[in-house]
Amino acid sequence: MSAIRTEGLSKYYGETRGIDDLTFAVDDGEVFGFLGPNGAGKTTAIRTLLGFQSPTAGTAEVLGADVTDERELIEARRDVGYLPAEPVFDEDTTGERALDYYGALRGDERSDHLLDLFDPPLDRKIGGYSRGNKQMLAIVVAFMHDPALLVMDEPTSGLDPLKQERFLEFLVDERDRGKTVFFSSHVLSEVQKVCERVGIIRNGRLVELEDVETLLARSGKIVRVRTADRVTVEEFSLSGVHDLSVDADRTGVGRSDGDRAGTVLSFAFTGEYNALLAQLNRYDVVDVEIEEAPLEEVFLRFYGDPASPTDAEHEGSDA
Amino acid sequence: MREIVRYETERRLPAAIAVSAGLSAFAGLFFAIGPSIVDEVDLAAYAEAFPPAFQSAFGIDAIGSLEGLFATELYQFGWILLLGLYFAYSAGALVAGNVEHGRLDLLLASPVSRTSVLLGKFLSLLAPMLLVNVVVGSVVYVGSALVDEPFAFADVAMAHLLSVPYLLVCAGLGLFVSVLVSSGSLAQRGGIGLVFGLFMVESVVTDTDFEWLGALSPTRYYDPTEILVEGTYDLAGGVILLEAAILLVIASALRFQRRDI
Repeated sequence: MSAIRTEGLSKYYGETRGIDDLTFAVDDGEVFGFLGPNGAGKTTAIRTLLGFQSPTAGTAEVLGADVTDERELIEARRDVGYLPAEPVFDEDTTGERALDYYGALRGDERSDHLLDLFDPPLDRKIGGYSRGNKQMLAIVVAFMHDPALLVMDEPTSGLDPLKQERFLEFLVDERDRGKTVFFSSHVLSEVQKVCERVGIIRNGRLVELEDVETLLARSGKIVRVRTADRVTVEEFSLSGVHDLSVDADRTGVGRSDGDRAGTVLSFAFTGEYNALLAQLNRYDVVDVEIEEAPLEEVFLRFYGDPASPTDAEHEGSDA
Repeated sequence: MREIVRYETERRLPAAIAVSAGLSAFAGLFFAIGPSIVDEVDLAAYAEAFPPAFQSAFGIDAIGSLEGLFATELYQFGWILLLGLYFAYSAGALVAGNVEHGRLDLLLASPVSRTSVLLGKFLSLLAPMLLVNVVVGSVVYVGSALVDEPFAFADVAMAHLLSVPYLLVCAGLGLFVSVLVSSGSLAQRGGIGLVFGLFMVESVVTDTDFEWLGALSPTRYYDPTEILVEGTYDLAGGVILLEAAILLVIASALRFQRRDI
């Protein structure tokens, strides 16, 4: 069975496109990443799935409930945990009271366990919370009723790196417990750590639906190399090199003789690392940087133009 | 829904206590200076100095007794205008501003219906409404006995009891504006504007050919001066107000049901 299923799901705000013709399914027990640059329509899609907004066309089901049928959706929500991109609490209440309140509304089966992992200062008023503390409180609230489906919008935003790591581990544990996880992100590396499959959304449209492995193989790494000797485009032909740019190195940095005959190479690489290293070995390498291809570059490479943000995104959401 | 009412009511209590204390102090002030004003100042002449519309707006023509002074200053001004605006403003904040700032997301992600969210939030206004009436009503009744000019208990009680439907209508108007517009500040100002506008309509059309227009104004159905000075109670008016309040809440719920948040 599918935990989430959409068919031609569209949401327009007047003439402005939020999402258009989304068709995909998230299977039970799957960790699904919903990937796209800021403003692509991720938040709009999630809000439509949760029934906050009614679709202008198409249908969607969450845990078998039609998202336009409030009664069905209320039942389904008993088993859905939602973590918004920018969780907003009433600032005049304490974290403790907020937990009581949401616990009373949706049931509290394991806030104690969650508070061991994520520990916002419960006795303080939420108005005094840092962004990270609010996010941690929202995580506890979202999962305290032990839902079968976790829906999250940019869940690691606002968490410090240590807590981000802990959160991703938590997601893996949840998956191992048989939960279905659906989360949006614009950070490829975190999606890569936990997701099995991704949907890529751009300008409100689903442009790709594939396994993470495949996507990663295609996105590759961004490589920048500085050599002391001259390198030409022709001699640096290697399979898996894309968008190669070769410039004369005018800085002379790193060379004792002050010679400025070096070269700066930059390219995206999707090939064999051994082949790359063997190739680089032929030069006098001064500096190498190899980094994850930012999602924007992946888009640039595979889908032409960098995704230009639409202004249809729900306010302040995808930041 | 009970949880929502409880939670929202809790959050309102500090403000409700402050409003009750403020209006109690206002009432106390009139017990301190009221008796001497009534004795020493020719209030009938004072009242006649105002234009007729103004006289009717604040019931100034009845100002010649302590009851009349209270009806004019505390009830016409404090209840009909100040509290009316206060509840319109509070209700105006229930939906629009919360939607605007994403404050309903966590609530509506819970297994609750939109109607119960709206009703729960609206009903949380009842506690401050009752609190301010009971506190200030007691202050007025006891105070009048202390200055040896006791008001009729039934009159004071009815002045407060019948104010509840009136205040519910004011809150209902605020709520309705709040579900219609998307900006929180616009909703709050709109609620205030609507209640103030209707208050002015009733005042301006009095004794004109357009007096029927005043039937639209909730102030026509609640007259504290009549209650305190003449001891007559407009129970039918109270029922009309209650019905209007219910209709406003139902219309708001229907609108909220369909709106994107």
